Amino acid sequence: MDDEDFEDLFGGGNVLEDSSQESLTNAAANLAFYESDDEKRMHGRQTSPATSLGSEDDEHSERKLARAATLTPGVGEQPDERDPPISAGSPPLSLQVQSRSVISKIEEVFEQIADGMISKHNEICLTLKVRSKPTTATAVTQGHDVSHQAEARSRRVCFPGKSAEEAWRFTVVIRILELVHEALRSGVTLSKRDIYYRDPALFGSQAHVDRYVDDIAFTFGIPRSALNVAAMAKGLVAGAFTFCRRDGSVVNAAADRDGILVPSLKEVLSVDMTAVRWIVVIEKEASFRSIASSSFWETLSTQGILVTGKGYPDIATRALLRFLSTSSPQNGFTTPPVYGLVDFDPDGLAILSTYKYGSITLAHESAELRVPQLKWLGLRSEHMLLGGDNTHSSQGLLTLTARDRGKARNMLERSALHGDADSDGADDADQAYARELQVMLMLNMKAELQLLDAVPNGMTDLLDGALGQL
Amino acid sequence: MSKQYLQTHTLPDAHPTDIFTLAVTPSQLLSASGSSSIRIYSTKGQVIHADTAEDEHPYPLVQTLEKVHPLGCHHICTSLDGKTAASAGFSGELKVWSYGEDDQWGERGEIVADQKNAGEHWAVALSEDGKYLATTTHDGRVNVYGTTTLADGKANKITQYETKGSFGMSVDISANGEMTASGHQNGSIYIFNNSTSRLAHSLSGLIKPVRSVRFSPANKYLAAAGDARIIALYDTQSGEQVANMTGHASWIMSIDWNWSGEYLLSGSYDGKAKIWSMERRECVATQTESEKCLWAVTWLPKAASARNETFVTAGAGRTLAFYREASGT
Repeated sequence: MDDEDFEDLFGGGNVLEDSSQESLTNAAANLAFYESDDEKRMHGRQTSPATSLGSEDDEHSERKLARAATLTPGVGEQPDERDPPISAGSPPLSLQVQSRSVISKIEEVFEQIADGMISKHNEICLTLKVRSKPTTATAVTQGHDVSHQAEARSRRVCFPGKSAEEAWRFTVVIRILELVHEALRSGVTLSKRDIYYRDPALFGSQAHVDRYVDDIAFTFGIPRSALNVAAMAKGLVAGAFTFCRRDGSVVNAAADRDGILVPSLKEVLSVDMTAVRWIVVIEKEASFRSIASSSFWETLSTQGILVTGKGYPDIATRALLRFLSTSSPQNGFTTPPVYGLVDFDPDGLAILSTYKYGSITLAHESAELRVPQLKWLGLRSEHMLLGGDNTHSSQGLLTLTARDRGKARNMLERSALHGDADSDGADDADQAYARELQVMLMLNMKAELQLLDAVPNGMTDLLDGALGQL
Repeated sequence: MSKQYLQTHTLPDAHPTDIFTLAVTPSQLLSASGSSSIRIYSTKGQVIHADTAEDEHPYPLVQTLEKVHPLGCHHICTSLDGKTAASAGFSGELKVWSYGEDDQWGERGEIVADQKNAGEHWAVALSEDGKYLATTTHDGRVNVYGTTTLADGKANKITQYETKGSFGMSVDISANGEMTASGHQNGSIYIFNNSTSRLAHSLSGLIKPVRSVRFSPANKYLAAAGDARIIALYDTQSGEQVANMTGHASWIMSIDWNWSGEYLLSGSYDGKAKIWSMERRECVATQTESEKCLWAVTWLPKAASARNETFVTAGAGRTLAFYREASGT
């Protein structure tokens, strides 16, 4: 990777940390910058997410093609036009239409690659537009046709390419496109973190994913949200509390069973948690929804808080959990007990440990995000027999994969560093982790939270059992 | 007619974590757990006379192999002659131990897994003379090593039995050394002929994970048990299933034959130990120690002077519990 790559990686990353709403001012600034720029050829290539991406305005495209032929994905030397038309001021279309057009864009890319392979081009090339200046941003909203790209560099990524690195780069782009395509098809929103975790071995680091996702969005001329990829606010929260936003609005988290997206702490002025007696963190969105839609909602909406980070939590979710559970003037000096409910598998334990002790990759900021008082509610090995002999529930039990076993062993190794179980150095929680990992390996089995759904009242009984005594 | 067993002794907190595995020699009981040490108890004093001081410490701790498995030990086995032991740890290491002239165990060596992945060595079994060591692997193979060739982290691999790739959860070598059996995650059970190094029988299987396979002392039967909650009995010559014993309500974690082959002992995930009569092919006694998983159960070798046999259970309760048949008659 050359220096420039680093530069745009960091430059882009900083801006993109902001959510789409917040970048409006940035975008406006960019707009001004761009309009004063001589480099006019890019004008209008960016379009707001609210505008139509559905129609293929050929005439328009061709005109732009003449202007920006090199800035489009294509195969071999054949330029291909796939830029969205400009349609300033057009009414917002439904997201569905938008995602369908993105799907077709992606499919076109794949078709071209297939064509390239069939016609035996020596090299298959993609041309990515690369955000080159720290002043750029991609996400723009609010109906205005705001273009904000001052100057775009383009970069061709070819396969097999000149070097191993180029082949890798090509693979990364294709893999991200594939994941985005899948997400759009199934209507799921991915976070950049999710994408990374789908293939950590390929991507190598989160930064690469961040950069290429944004480059792809930029190349397509759409905001990242149109790819169904979110940078943050992955987590959901619901329960018996209200918070005041900085803009003066008050949000009641008990109002909606679907939960609300975890707000950025920057937006939160204070939170009223007087009714809250406990907080439960749950690994999966599916379990979050099944609890919220069950009879347990009555209890939850009057005396508890339910949080999910949808898998490995993002920073916003961890920050919120820490904020809610750590005494401060903003939360009324409350310190409700926090419980974690995760799958009985190595990833579940790693997620729990991320909330509790922080993540390894973000070790430098972990201290501010840790919730060391987090208690482990489940699932544990003792829950594996909950379903008894019933075949339905035994479907919630799965065999460990080789990856699971490897991961469990690595986690055991890490916990052994904290202190051997024989010595006094290890604390109880560490020992409990190690014990459950060993049991998992012994049984060669894992259990997902869905196991609780297979047992009548499994989830509510578990929650009532632990929380009822409070 | 049911039999009565009495708990004669317990060693509470014998290990700081779950006791995963037990093995016996004619004079000792070896136990290993999720902690790093192996503990060895003498069983010589097992004839208990209530009035003697011996009663207080019938199973004294005679040796601790400290910090030999840093991530804990999941399987330990001994040769019938009591001279060799082998232990497998969670980080994939496999250690071989020798019983010395000084009545102490010493490490003879370690077999380091070729590839550094979990599960290259899982369950272990030693032949009667301790010369052969069989281990199962995560991908369903059974490796047989010659322990006499152990040096520099390697031992001569005598043979490798291939199966269909399902995790090998249990293994045993028959007392006469002729057969090796393995039980797998997918419920399959195999018997291999050690002299030809070939598969002798692919048994009808239990569909669910097979957590324990054991040859009867006279090599006539193979008993297998696991998550199917039954103990299946096979004729080792014909490969036919000859009995199916039901009664456990939960996964069966380990089984053991008594010295005469008349009784089978089994321990389950829900903390129950059962004694099964081979003659009647049914359960004749049930002991409930707690609801905590019994990872390992074993008979102690019958001392010539003892009229009644003793067995030991261990598991998540971290306790070694000793039971003896109550013979009122």
